[in-house]
Order: sequence, then structure tokens, then C-alpha cells
Amino acid sequence: MSGDLSRAALETGEVLVVERLGGGLLELVARLPHLAATATPGAFAQLRCGQSTTPLLRRPFSVAWTQGETCGFVFEAVGAGTRLLSELQPGDPLDVLGPLGHGFSVVDAGSVVCVSGGLGCAPFPLLINELRRRGVADILVLNGARTATRLYPAERFARPAVPVVAEATDDGTRGHHGPVTDLLHRALGSRPSALYACGPNAMVGAVMRTLLESGADLPATLEASLEAPMGCGFGTCLGCALPVLENGVSIWRLCCTDGPVMSMRDVDWDALAALPGADVA
Amino acid sequence: MTEDRFSGVDLGRGLTLPNRVGLASGTAGYGFELEQLIDLNVLGALYTKGTTVHAREGNPPPRVAETGGGMLNSIGLQNPGVDVVATVYAPRWRGWAIPIIVNVAGGSVDDYVHCVTVLEPVVEVAGIELNISCPNIAQGLDFGRDPDAAARLVAAVRAVTERCLIVKLSPNVTDIAAVARAVEDAGADAVSAVNTYIGRKIHRATGRSVLPLGTGGLSGPAIQPLALAAVATVAEAVHIPVIGVGGIVDAASARDFLTVGACAVQVGTATFVNPETALQVLDGLRD
Repeated sequence: MSGDLSRAALETGEVLVVERLGGGLLELVARLPHLAATATPGAFAQLRCGQSTTPLLRRPFSVAWTQGETCGFVFEAVGAGTRLLSELQPGDPLDVLGPLGHGFSVVDAGSVVCVSGGLGCAPFPLLINELRRRGVADILVLNGARTATRLYPAERFARPAVPVVAEATDDGTRGHHGPVTDLLHRALGSRPSALYACGPNAMVGAVMRTLLESGADLPATLEASLEAPMGCGFGTCLGCALPVLENGVSIWRLCCTDGPVMSMRDVDWDALAALPGADVA
Repeated sequence: MTEDRFSGVDLGRGLTLPNRVGLASGTAGYGFELEQLIDLNVLGALYTKGTTVHAREGNPPPRVAETGGGMLNSIGLQNPGVDVVATVYAPRWRGWAIPIIVNVAGGSVDDYVHCVTVLEPVVEVAGIELNISCPNIAQGLDFGRDPDAAARLVAAVRAVTERCLIVKLSPNVTDIAAVARAVEDAGADAVSAVNTYIGRKIHRATGRSVLPLGTGGLSGPAIQPLALAAVATVAEAVHIPVIGVGGIVDAASARDFLTVGACAVQVGTATFVNPETALQVLDGLRD
């Protein structure tokens, strides 16, 4: 009925930098003490884009990482809102509501595989940091993108010690030539205790399909951060419905409060695949 | 009604809102999310999500689409059904200072009568807002478009409730004044105006409508001048209190509605952008 919003707060922070990573990827870094202190892996924040009533709605972004009073967000300028964010200058105010959402169940033992597609890299630095804090050392990142310039840089998945990152590009410009799911078979050989995935819903669906087709035992913790067109981000508009199977019946659950992280075992992947693509305003 | 904006708003049948600023139906759920984000209890009213006889799963996504200065929604009245509202949600409202006005929707007179009958003994329910104007379900607008049908519905519901009965009007009509007069004559204690405007957005890459049902309800600051015109028309047409709603984002846009004859307002879509908007409107109206 309602998720845990106890940590969520409105906060006006200060932009420190919008860094261009290449291939259109951007990393927005802002001083946001409340969000930095309270965000847990998989949480997201609703960012106001500009001061006007167009674009009206906030845009949801995973909290990519936190350091002291600072938070990072990874995005791409694809619509009116993200274009405004891409133009922010150091010192500009940043109006944020967060942290929001149901995040990852962070394991504290075994080996872990993180599967990232494109901007799906966003939640992983914060997750990997927390995994390491809990003593998980065996972390493998499978990082896929359309082309080499759009691969989130390996060293940004965790600092100071960079985790093992295996890369795949659709065009073969770096790493494995093909989808990131091609890398899953070898990764499953380590019998991971947890697999976390994030990327376009179709890519995450392909991860699940590959896992099921592999015949391997599924990791005990098997979670994905999903996306849906979102209105409020805190469970009142009911806009961000995603299909979930409950007792074999497909029902709607909210991406913002039931997710964005959901058990991959629960998602109705066929129904999700049938949904129309995102409309970028 | 009072001219003193510091005191309550008397809507009749014993319901006096503590102040003029409420949260619009469909933008505040049943209060349990916003309760965690803002101090609900200083506000004038919470109008719940549209509530039906049976639980509704709602429409397939995408359910929201952004437009210039506004948003389209096609939620499809997702709600747990009136029995859950009466037996599970209402006890959680106990002790809340904010009056809870349950928005009731349906496809037939019997649906509405059933819901209102179930809610009648629930002490935590301060009033009823009849939703005769949902653009996103089949038959959702049938009562809102026809003054005679609206009057029959209101008369039937009036017969089963002693509570304050507010009727939420649709702007998607030829003559909103006629509908307003009809529901006043049939026993409504107040009207709220307006619900969302029917709108459509095209996905320019595919040429298809973004929302799966084609159209949705447009809300947000884009509709404020339209809503204002409708409220002015309604306020001239009836003698019962009029609650203004549509595109309010701040105290100035709220005051516009009071200027044209509304006695209270509802903040809707702006809450999605900033959950504190209604509080800011309330503070601004006091200045």
C-alpha cells in the first residue's frame, strides 16, 4: 500500500560538476548532504529539471555513488529534462527529493555478479561499495553498451580498488562483440550467491531468459532495478505500473515504491516485454 | 462560507474544513504516502483516490505522459475497493486532524449507492466526493455529461447519506453550469470543479498514442486558465459552495480561484512535483 518514505526529504543541493564521460554519458555530481547520508544501494532520487513548469515532472535517477556529502548521478541528455540537467553549471542549485524506492538486498557473503546495460551502470557503484563494506570481495561486473565510448569507465564502478569488469559492446569496439548476456555463462560458473541487473527492461529480461536457459542453479539473490514512466516517485500517482506475477497471476506493482529493485523471479517478463517503449518528452 | 481566510470553510451538513487548501483526489492516494513526507494535519482536506465497489487493478502502462506544462494520466481508478477503504484504511485515519473526504466512482447508480452506504457508518470519513467525471474508465463520464443522469445519481446517493456530499464536475461537457445546477437541485451540498481535461499525446517516433487507451486526463498548470473559466461559470450558476481545482501551483494561482467565487481549493498535480506545495499555498494565502 505504501513504501517506506521515512528517509525521503526535499533538499536543495549545489551542483559541483557535470562531467562528460564520452558517448553521451554524463555524470552529475552535487553536494546533497541528506541524500548522501541516507541513500542505500538501489535507491533513486527525483531531480527537478529547471525552475519552470515545463518540464513539469521531476526525473528519477539512481543514486550512483555517495562520498561524504556528495552524490553522483549518471545519465544521458535525451529529452527536455535531461538536457536541462546537462547544462547545469557548478554552483547551480539542484532540487532533489529522495532517497526513494525499494533498493537491493545486499548480500554479505559469496561471489556477486552485477550485470549492467548502458545507463544501467548507475546503481552499481553504490551497491559495490556496500558489498565491499560487508566483506564481499568476489565481485564481477558485466558491463555492456552499444559501443565502446558508451561503456561506463571500469574504474568508476568502485574506488579505490577497481572490481573485475568484463565488457561487451554491440559493435565490437571494445571487449566481447555481442550482447552482455553472452558473458553470463562463464560468470555463472562461479555459482554466485547474488546477481544484480540493471539496464533497459528488455536487456534485463534477456538476462533472466539467459539464466533460465542456462539450466544453472539461479543465484539465491536475483534482483533487477527496473524502469517505468514515473509521475511522483513516492507512490501516490500510481503511474509507474510494472507487471509482477503473484500466485501465477499478473498484477501491477509500482516501480517507485515496490521497486525500482524487484526480485527477477517475481517480474512478469512476457508482459513487461509487451509494453510499449518509453516516450521521451 | 466565510470571508475570513483564517477560519474554516462550511460546506454544509456539519462539515467545516479547517482551512481552504486541500489535496485533490488522485494526487494524494489515501494519505499514507504523503503522511510520511509532509504534515498533512495542517491542511483543509484530503480527497482520496477514486474508490469503487470492487478493487480495480488499473490500466496498463504507460499510465502517465508529460506534456507542455502538464501531464496526462490514464491510471484507470486503481484502488483497493470500498470495503478495504472502510475496514483497513479508515482505522489508520483515526486521530488525523485533516478531514478525509472519500472520492467515490462507479459505473452505475447502484455502484455509487453501494459505496456510499458502506462508508456511511465509518466515523473517520468526513464527507463524500462523487466522481462523475473520470475520463479513464468506461462509463466514467456518463453521469458527468448529462444533467438529468447526474441529478438522478445525486438524488439516489443523497437518499443514503447524511454526510456532506460534494460532486466533482467534469470540464469535458458542453454546459458545465447545467450539470452544476442539476446536482445542486438534486441535493449536492457542494461541487468541486474541475476534473481533468481529455487529452492525447502522440509518440512521435511511432505515430501512436503514448497512452494505451489513446486519451488520458490532462492536469497541471497548463489547465489552470481553463479550470478558472469553468469555476467562474459554475460559481455564477449555483448557490452551494464551489471548490476550485485545476493547475494550482502556488498561492497566487490558488487565489485566482477564490477571486472567481471558489470558497476552497484543491492542489493536485503540483503535489507530485513538490509534496509541500499545498502547505506553501496555505501559507501564501495567509500572508
